[in-house]
Amino acid sequence: MVVLNFTLTPEAAAKVHDLLVCLGKFSDTVAIEARRERFTFTALNSSKSAYAALTLDGSQFFTSYECVPTHGGPDSRFTCSMYTKALLSVFKGRLYDPLGRDGAIDRCEVTLQDRPDQTECRFIVKMVCNQGVIKTYKLTYEAVEVMHALFDRNVAKNRWSMHSGAMKEYIEYFGTKTEMLDIYAGDDGRAVFKSYTEKVSNGKEILKHPLVTAVAVNTSDFEEFNIQAGLHIIISVRDFKAIVIHADTLKTSLKAYYSYPTRPLQFNYGCDGLSCEFTLMTSGDYNAVPASSPAPAMLSRTNSRAQSAATERTENRSMRSEMPPPAEPASRRSARRRNPGSRKVKSPKRAEPDPDSLFVTQEEEDTRWDPVDYNKEEETLGWDASAEHDAAIFPTFRDSGSLTRTETEDSNEVLAPTQRVSQIKGLW
Amino acid sequence: MEDEDELPLFAAVSSSARQLYLLLRCINFSEKAHVQISEEGLKFSVDEAGVMEGFAFLDKSLFTSYTFRAPPPQRSSIRDSDDEEDEEETSTNPTFQISLPSLLETLQIFGLTDPNNSKPPWARDNPTSTAFSNNVLGMNNMCRISYDSFGSPLVIVLTEASIRTTCELTTYEPAFADEIPFDRQSLAFKTIMRGTWLFDAISELASTTPARLTLVARLARSQKPYFALSASGPLGSARVEFNNNLAPSTKPPPPTNPPSVENPAESPNLLETFQLSNPETTLRYTYKFSLIQKAARAMSVATKVSVRGDTQGVLSLQFMIEVEAGKVSFVDFRFVPLVEKDGGEMDDETVLEEGEGSGSGMEDEE
Repeated sequence: MVVLNFTLTPEAAAKVHDLLVCLGKFSDTVAIEARRERFTFTALNSSKSAYAALTLDGSQFFTSYECVPTHGGPDSRFTCSMYTKALLSVFKGRLYDPLGRDGAIDRCEVTLQDRPDQTECRFIVKMVCNQGVIKTYKLTYEAVEVMHALFDRNVAKNRWSMHSGAMKEYIEYFGTKTEMLDIYAGDDGRAVFKSYTEKVSNGKEILKHPLVTAVAVNTSDFEEFNIQAGLHIIISVRDFKAIVIHADTLKTSLKAYYSYPTRPLQFNYGCDGLSCEFTLMTSGDYNAVPASSPAPAMLSRTNSRAQSAATERTENRSMRSEMPPPAEPASRRSARRRNPGSRKVKSPKRAEPDPDSLFVTQEEEDTRWDPVDYNKEEETLGWDASAEHDAAIFPTFRDSGSLTRTETEDSNEVLAPTQRVSQIKGLW
Repeated sequence: MEDEDELPLFAAVSSSARQLYLLLRCINFSEKAHVQISEEGLKFSVDEAGVMEGFAFLDKSLFTSYTFRAPPPQRSSIRDSDDEEDEEETSTNPTFQISLPSLLETLQIFGLTDPNNSKPPWARDNPTSTAFSNNVLGMNNMCRISYDSFGSPLVIVLTEASIRTTCELTTYEPAFADEIPFDRQSLAFKTIMRGTWLFDAISELASTTPARLTLVARLARSQKPYFALSASGPLGSARVEFNNNLAPSTKPPPPTNPPSVENPAESPNLLETFQLSNPETTLRYTYKFSLIQKAARAMSVATKVSVRGDTQGVLSLQFMIEVEAGKVSFVDFRFVPLVEKDGGEMDDETVLEEGEGSGSGMEDEE
């Protein structure tokens, strides 16, 4: 038996409306997790590339809050899933009106009816309006287990923070049809938010028109800006817009935490008992990070890259040594898997003649459409976590990137045979 | 017919096509509308599958000039059989059908602007405007409606500034004569409230995409009126209750509530009138939700609505619409109820009782 009762002020109910609007941009369904002292709305989008968790503090956000999950443990929780649309039809806009006009409510009472002696399980919302109108909604819900995306803020060394109002001005410049957002920290004291769409052409038809909008912001305009210079990180414009617009309703500062492309990024903000976390998948396939990305990961990666020319065994090994990448759409992953070919081709060519240079004609965006002919690379899943493997795509950043690579390659040349032999022995 | 009489049967001039449009738009849920011209005004009626009717009455006071020359009785010889079944006294009044969407299109041919505030800023302070200019005289948005004789088209002439549009709408033979019988003498219940309350409730319930709308009226303990509309759909159910003098609004607010919640300008009563023919019983009628929803336009513009149900369950919604300050018009709807099975009623009953119980519990907490 679950007990869940809480009461919201009109202001809080309006905030619930705002957050549901935001979550509705991520997913059709919203999951609810109620614990003894907090209440969380979560949403995971269909491609599982964006996860949102909005936590309402039991004592701060609610007028009254009571939750006794089924099993009495401190970590016990009640979870269910509902249609965002259904909840939104209950938590409409204009719930809070300082002038007390029609549609404004006096308070909102929510009860969970989930008892064996009752025939129906319902999520009951009661809107008590000022003039004596009471609106009662009984919504069906689905009992589901709620998963959470993990995010380690200690690893995310790159941080920035900016007031949502300012950020909202910037997102207005982004084209409505654009898909990707590249956040780039330049060397010149500016951060660039660039929205763009990959051009997709089908014969003569262009299916997606490339429109690039770059908004350059002085890093001094940020409340906090601590980003490795030259780091590109790419997220979805749609997600970013949804987050900024919601953050703006709270008039708070939006904080971003991330490490390097292909590792998750987190946006975080909150006030008055409402704390919002959005964990987004990032990509960096078409952009480069300069040499100074996290050292250990890079070493193993360059290591494997250098050796993959000769054998795939080492690739397997390095893959094992690395953390598996976060869950991502298959299409992206396969595209990335093929990319090392082009990069590997290009950077050694600058540094020293390489047998792989026969791939040199296949590069840039063409690589995406190539058949998967890199047999040796087929199992190089380890590349997923790579931060710099696309160095060759944008020549601007190639210099520093390839330089490091040559260094590591040199040092690896000595080690490579030994490792390979030992591994072969171990395996066979 | 024409040669013996050049004067039209009916001619009226309105200074505002907008007012006519606003009223007729309320019943715009069907292709054809019946028009009956009488000494008092124009009556438009619209029918939906015989289970819903909408009436809009354009009173002669809406027109600046209204001329109706009742045809002599023999004039309606071809239509006698039809009309005598209906009502004796209106047998000579011309009745015909027209396309309501076309009429509405016609009326808004110059746009739907309110002449009082539609003028662009540069026109408002027009130095050339005199006391006799069209704007001042209210002549810039004229609408003249005329009907020459039986079978002739309904002619609408709209004039704005120097533009004059003449529209002839084909009239058709009347198709139905029977109204949904609503017994005013044996009302089961009646309540009057603000139209926006009803509109709000219906749009609230619409979010559950229900098929049926249940109306519940009764006198709660201590003779407190209770009126509720409920509906249920695939995603859940919703109920909107109207209570007079609800406890929370009369009690002092709990300390946790912000002060803004307590509105000093409290409306006296949500339900202005509340009458039940049999106060001991709970009245419960069910209607098709999509039909009730067709009256939503009227609800949104009405100042007041009178909700009445007769003993047979026929629902009458009468909307008082203020087209101009101090001038009211009425738009009526009638609905035939759905016959409810006992099982469904019992189900609703439990929901209702349970809801009431939790409501009183909530009051006790405070």
